[in-house]
Amino acid sequence: MTKEEVISKTNEVFEKSFEIAPERLKPEAHIFNDLGLDSLDIVDLVVGLQQKFAVTIRDDERVRNIRTLGDVYDFIYLLGQEGSVGGSPSK
Amino acid sequence: MQLKRAVITGFGTVSPLGSDVIEMQAGFEASRSAVQLMEGWDAYKGLRSLIAAPAISLDASSIPRQSRRSMGPMSIYSVQAAQQALAGSALPVGLLTSGRVGCVIGSTMGGTRSINEIYENMASHKDLSQLTSMKFFQCMSHTAALNVSQHFGINGVVMATSAACASGLQAIGSAYDLIRLGTQDAVLCGGAEELFPTVTGAFDILFATSTKYNDRPQLTPRPFDADRDGLVCGEGAGILVVEEYEHARARGARIYAEIIGYHTCASGQHVSHSSKESLAASMRGALASARIDAGAVDYINAHATATLQGDKEEAEAIRDIFGDKVPVSSLKGYMGHTLGASGAIELVASLLMMQAGRIYPTKNLERVADDCQGIWHVQKQLERQVNVIIKNAFALGGLTASLVVKSPD
Repeated sequence: MTKEEVISKTNEVFEKSFEIAPERLKPEAHIFNDLGLDSLDIVDLVVGLQQKFAVTIRDDERVRNIRTLGDVYDFIYLLGQEGSVGGSPSK
Repeated sequence: MQLKRAVITGFGTVSPLGSDVIEMQAGFEASRSAVQLMEGWDAYKGLRSLIAAPAISLDASSIPRQSRRSMGPMSIYSVQAAQQALAGSALPVGLLTSGRVGCVIGSTMGGTRSINEIYENMASHKDLSQLTSMKFFQCMSHTAALNVSQHFGINGVVMATSAACASGLQAIGSAYDLIRLGTQDAVLCGGAEELFPTVTGAFDILFATSTKYNDRPQLTPRPFDADRDGLVCGEGAGILVVEEYEHARARGARIYAEIIGYHTCASGQHVSHSSKESLAASMRGALASARIDAGAVDYINAHATATLQGDKEEAEAIRDIFGDKVPVSSLKGYMGHTLGASGAIELVASLLMMQAGRIYPTKNLERVADDCQGIWHVQKQLERQVNVIIKNAFALGGLTASLVVKSPD
């Protein structure tokens, strides 16, 4: 999966699940401070990403390090590089 | 201890007849039925009643996402009804966060659609990973109370009554007690419910639903009628502002009615059957609580859902206490049975009748059943001054509740 595809699909999750306008979805946007998500939303972000990319990331420690939207893109892209996207769960 | 007086200073509804009180009243005036054939319900094997009365509500997107995310339909209806009630009451916004305002909203079983979505993941797929964080908040028994209190910042007494179809009236009764005891200055209270095939199915299994009118939905339910064949489920929310009398007077609030009596009890006899003894005990208890005789009542808003057994028992109980001297009508023929919301929505409707000096008749009551005779059935709109109303709500488990309201001094 290309980085562009990761960005596009991730943005779809933010638009659908959190009703955030596309123009606000910048890589540098902080998901708490700029996009207004809270800890409960992170649960739903994980569910949304799992459904969108067919991955299992709920127990992946790297999720805790995510701060910006760009971090989300990078994390999902990395999963793809590891071969985890598309059904094989990440560890 | 001198108990305080409790008055109603605001109310709102989201009902099958419309998204607010004005639309609901227009529906009564036009004798409109909101019962319709439900698309897709025939896919449920064994479900024989394929009709219902869905709520008409406004777009919920004006509720901020952070509030809305934990709301299923019944909570959205509740917030919208509460917005109307608060606007009507003109209760100062700052009061909501003072700890002196409470919120008591009942429902039968919480958010049925979310419960079903959880079941589908858990039972069919044995998969928790697809569940979002908000699903449980949407289906808890107190989902409407918690969402309304969160949305408006209410931090006083927040609780939920859960007594099936008596939930809404029990919530108002509980608010009445909170005011009388001086625990709160005002309480947002009422009931809420949302439709889902499992809800109708619960009654269908018990042979309590209307099944003969799927091709003529507007002719059912038929409370007290010789051709009644069961209830039709509806949905919506009714929310009232119940406020301490002196508090309301001091701020110059409009007082719509005073709650002067309330009683709730059970039959202790059967899990599903209504009993005229407990229905009568509920009404007698409410009259005693109000310190009035049966002759002081101007109108009875019946629970009457059009079940064969329930209507008969209620008619007998009313006859035993009031004879044929007091006008009686049921509103289920317009809106179906909105279950946990019915006590609150129909109390609001009764207040509209009090204001208008007009009693809305029992829709679809064409020929009074032999077993429902002996009471004053209102079959045509009746112009009549109404000062004292008794509102009944009954529920599975033999639970009963009756509330008495009177017009303001």
